Amino acid sequence: MAKPRSSFGKDTGLQARMLLTLFLLGLVYVVFIGVLFAAGAGAGLIVIVALVLLLAQLFGSDKIAMATLGVKEVSPAEEPELHAIIERLCVQANLPKPKVAVIETSMPNACAMGKSKKATTVCATRGILQLLSPAELEGVMAHELTHVINRDVMVMTLASFFATLASLIAQFALFFGGGFGGGYGRNRNEEEDIMIVLLVSVIVYAISFLLLRALSRYREFAADRGSAVLTGRPSALASALLKISGTIERVPSQDLRKAEGMSAFFIIPARTKKSLMNIFSDHPPLEQRLAALERLESQLQSAA
Amino acid sequence: MGLRDILTGRHTVQGPAPDRLFAITTAYITLQSEHQIDPSGKAAIVFQALATSEFESTLRDMEEVVTATGSDSGTKVSTEDDSYGYRWMVLHNPAGAPSVEDLAVGINAVSSSIETAGYGERLLCAVFAFEDARKQRVYFIYNYKRGYWYPFVPAAGQQQQRSTERELQIKAQIASELPIEPELERWFPLWGIPI
Repeated sequence: MAKPRSSFGKDTGLQARMLLTLFLLGLVYVVFIGVLFAAGAGAGLIVIVALVLLLAQLFGSDKIAMATLGVKEVSPAEEPELHAIIERLCVQANLPKPKVAVIETSMPNACAMGKSKKATTVCATRGILQLLSPAELEGVMAHELTHVINRDVMVMTLASFFATLASLIAQFALFFGGGFGGGYGRNRNEEEDIMIVLLVSVIVYAISFLLLRALSRYREFAADRGSAVLTGRPSALASALLKISGTIERVPSQDLRKAEGMSAFFIIPARTKKSLMNIFSDHPPLEQRLAALERLESQLQSAA
Repeated sequence: MGLRDILTGRHTVQGPAPDRLFAITTAYITLQSEHQIDPSGKAAIVFQALATSEFESTLRDMEEVVTATGSDSGTKVSTEDDSYGYRWMVLHNPAGAPSVEDLAVGINAVSSSIETAGYGERLLCAVFAFEDARKQRVYFIYNYKRGYWYPFVPAAGQQQQRSTERELQIKAQIASELPIEPELERWFPLWGIPI
């Protein structure tokens, strides 16, 4: 039997950028931990608080999101087509079947929630079910399932742990006047230490914020690619993205403001205006995603 | 999936598992003689048809091969696309001579030529159609990724309902001869099977 050959090229560039981002993030965090230790005690409490927050985020965020978004689980009898699409993708990706849910809103979007392959919910809005053809919907669902396969929720939550910690310290220090070393009788030395910790925390937070946004964008590209690999139809996803983004910009902005906070979960961020700068965005611009999908399609067509 | 794959979000689609397709060629004898579940002379293979000229030419070659090998046994081949964009290649044995062996050989010819062409990861499943004593359709589905079989019995007269009880009975009857998918949540239904 012939050696299995890939229909798509390698994504070395994307992987390199992702590893570089993770490395830089790690570097920032190592410096941060160093400073915390140098500053000595007092930081211990905050680390514990941050750990608790992290665990809560990891284990509770999907439940909170599901409650606030009005996610309703649907049975195969209610949504036969959506279930059939997801079942076939699960066979294809060798995944157990996730829970399938629908959000009753006209805004076309889709999301996947859950921290592991076993406990996942994929949702589609009513709007996206009406808007897309089965092949396009399959592309979107494959994108969401790739997020699950790649454990994106887990990776992003863990990667943002120290950023959360840094922001906590900065807020703590500002609100309580740097009082986490114990109020009275501080000497000048301690005051200086606290100022340094505060300053470093702010810087760490700023840098890691940008790095995390970059990481999030790379993972979107990876999920687009994963969808193309899974379905073998990159152009179907491209067509779906065009349809979705076209509609999102036409939806009244009041709906969008409500949905703004959830954009990290969605396939296309719920925003009307173009972001000021791409580096602040957690989703890559549509043109870049379409260009990447076009490259995949031409790789597929010329694979010989 | 390794740590590096998780960190970089790299994902490749798995190819077929070690082939256990031919287990059906011995299991059907037990099904027929002991449980009155008779083969209906039809089988199908389901895969994602890539919209590329190379894949299409692979398919054309393959159809010729299957038609040629099937001419001795009288196996006919037809293809159709379902509404989800998957292609069904249906193998049909003439009435009176329903041979599961011939069908399995035909299905295997299709799957191995797809694999040889380098598209093994596009294979979804193979379906063999049977009928029990009460004229109820019983399907045996072979999942290429897993290398396991499972029974699928659509409930008679009801839309998109399956008879899980009957499926579990069949599993108990045949589990010693057919490698049955151990995880029940992977017994994915296939609605609108054209055979």
